[in-house]
Amino acid sequence: MDPMKAQQLAAELEVEMMADMYNRMTNACHRKCVPPHYKEPELTKGEAVCLDRCVAKYLDLHEKLGRKLTELSVQDEEVMRKAAIGSG
Amino acid sequence: MAASSGAPAADAQGSSPISANDDPPHFQYSVLLDHLIGDRRPIKDLNPAVMAGLPVPYKTDEQKMIERAMESCTFKAALACVGGFVLGGAFGVFTAGIDTNVGFDPKDPMRTPTAREVLKDMGQRGMSYAKNFAIVGAMFSCTECVIESYRGQSDWKNAVYSGCVTGGAIGFRAGLKAGLLGCGGFAAFSAAIEYYLR
Repeated sequence: MDPMKAQQLAAELEVEMMADMYNRMTNACHRKCVPPHYKEPELTKGEAVCLDRCVAKYLDLHEKLGRKLTELSVQDEEVMRKAAIGSG
Repeated sequence: MAASSGAPAADAQGSSPISANDDPPHFQYSVLLDHLIGDRRPIKDLNPAVMAGLPVPYKTDEQKMIERAMESCTFKAALACVGGFVLGGAFGVFTAGIDTNVGFDPKDPMRTPTAREVLKDMGQRGMSYAKNFAIVGAMFSCTECVIESYRGQSDWKNAVYSGCVTGGAIGFRAGLKAGLLGCGGFAAFSAAIEYYLR
């Protein structure tokens, strides 16, 4: 696949992907870190610290899993290409 | 890649040459994924306005620094120290006001003390209470903030743990048993206050 085309396609998909990731991250971290008590409108120190850690872990995980997934998909492609060449 | 020859505008997304009766061109997910989430992804500006959240105006660096300083444990401890000092001073002067022994001169017990002596005594008592309250307040606030940062939750247990630590530290100077007693007492007091506040 042409890298330029891949880049363009990725740029289009990226907006949607980042929006989805942001939504999921906010939901997950809110569920984990902010108990539904709401006695005061400001984030307490504990909640703020928890949110910092949650976001850092989420983004770290996102990056590691992304890299692993592309690795696996490259291996998959190799296997399929060899199978195609073998049968073609 | 062997793209469809002589047709540069063709949307050849497969790695094999296009022909009418071939299988559909093989879509290389790996290259796309590499550009999306793999090593060749672009540097993103993680900003809620870009990621379809509510657009929030950027905070300036000074504002962020000030907010971080005001939420820090040292600032909270300093605040508690000053507050404790003021409260302790007021409390000390008040208790001196209702104490019959203020200005008592041990060399001449029958003499009524002068106003200056009484005031000096009240001032000393107020200062001593103020210093004690300031130290206790600063210790309690500091330990509570540290424990809350460590646990990442804010509930009543933070106050109880830090009450035990503060009470234990104060009582420990008079021995282990006094330390344990101080821990238990202060923790119970903190728990009562937290129960009332929450």
